[in-house]
Amino acid sequence: MNAMFEPFVDVVPSFFATLSQGPMTLTIFLHTVIILPMFWIYKQEKARLEQEEGN
Amino acid sequence: MAKKSVWSDNRFWQRTAGWVTGFASVLLIWLTFDTSAQISMGTDTDLQNGVTKRVPGPTVINYKIAYEFNKKRQHEIPVIGGMNSEGTSAFQEKEKFFGRDDWSEEEAESLLHLGKLASQTKNCMNCHTLLGNGGYYAPDLTKAWLDPAWGPEGSMQAMTSKETKEEAMAEFLQNPSQYPTHARMMPNLGITAEEAKGLVAFLKHLSSIDTNGFPRNFGKIQGAVNGK
Repeated sequence: MNAMFEPFVDVVPSFFATLSQGPMTLTIFLHTVIILPMFWIYKQEKARLEQEEGN
Repeated sequence: MAKKSVWSDNRFWQRTAGWVTGFASVLLIWLTFDTSAQISMGTDTDLQNGVTKRVPGPTVINYKIAYEFNKKRQHEIPVIGGMNSEGTSAFQEKEKFFGRDDWSEEEAESLLHLGKLASQTKNCMNCHTLLGNGGYYAPDLTKAWLDPAWGPEGSMQAMTSKETKEEAMAEFLQNPSQYPTHARMMPNLGITAEEAKGLVAFLKHLSSIDTNGFPRNFGKIQGAVNGK
């Protein structure tokens, strides 16, 4: 079986067990919670800077 | 005036750092509670009802404990009281511990407690490793109960001239300097008979804890990755 996606095998199903199933799960999770909000913050700050320059 | 870049803007980095720090704090607090729940000890009722707990109840000393390679999890897991069709604990097969397989929850708990206190007063972790904590001067004791050297055909049991694994271990713990083991011999720590009994119970319980296959490649154990 391809190593990228493995069946869930931990003793107790938990959110943290899901995260530690493999490198892919953690990567997707960290991108979701760090990189995506950074895009959002970036856009807000860009809009703010443009508005300040416009004044 | 040149256009200001967001990447060199302080507020962007402040907000990013604030978000990551805040989120990580929440995640770590959640992880603490999640871990506490998972490592809390099971009960005798759990064992009787066949409920697998990462840390089984103290009466696990009444059961036979084995260490088997689990194909699904790709490492060894403790198998308590025989194996069922799914390759996990069946909680059926008992094993006498110092002549008894009917230790009550209170008795087993106080024996384990005595063993735990003895392991702390005698500072086992100064040389040995327990669950990843301690020294690497002496053998890792996390799965010591499962070491075939202490089994019926093992050299350690033969050396102590005892009939059972627990008696052999208790005898060795009381007189470690009498038995030649390896170059780094264990010193005599003045462990009493009762303390030795508690320590062996502590070790048996320790071996029943599901440590996600840690320590890896504990090859001497039958059923383990490099086991015979």
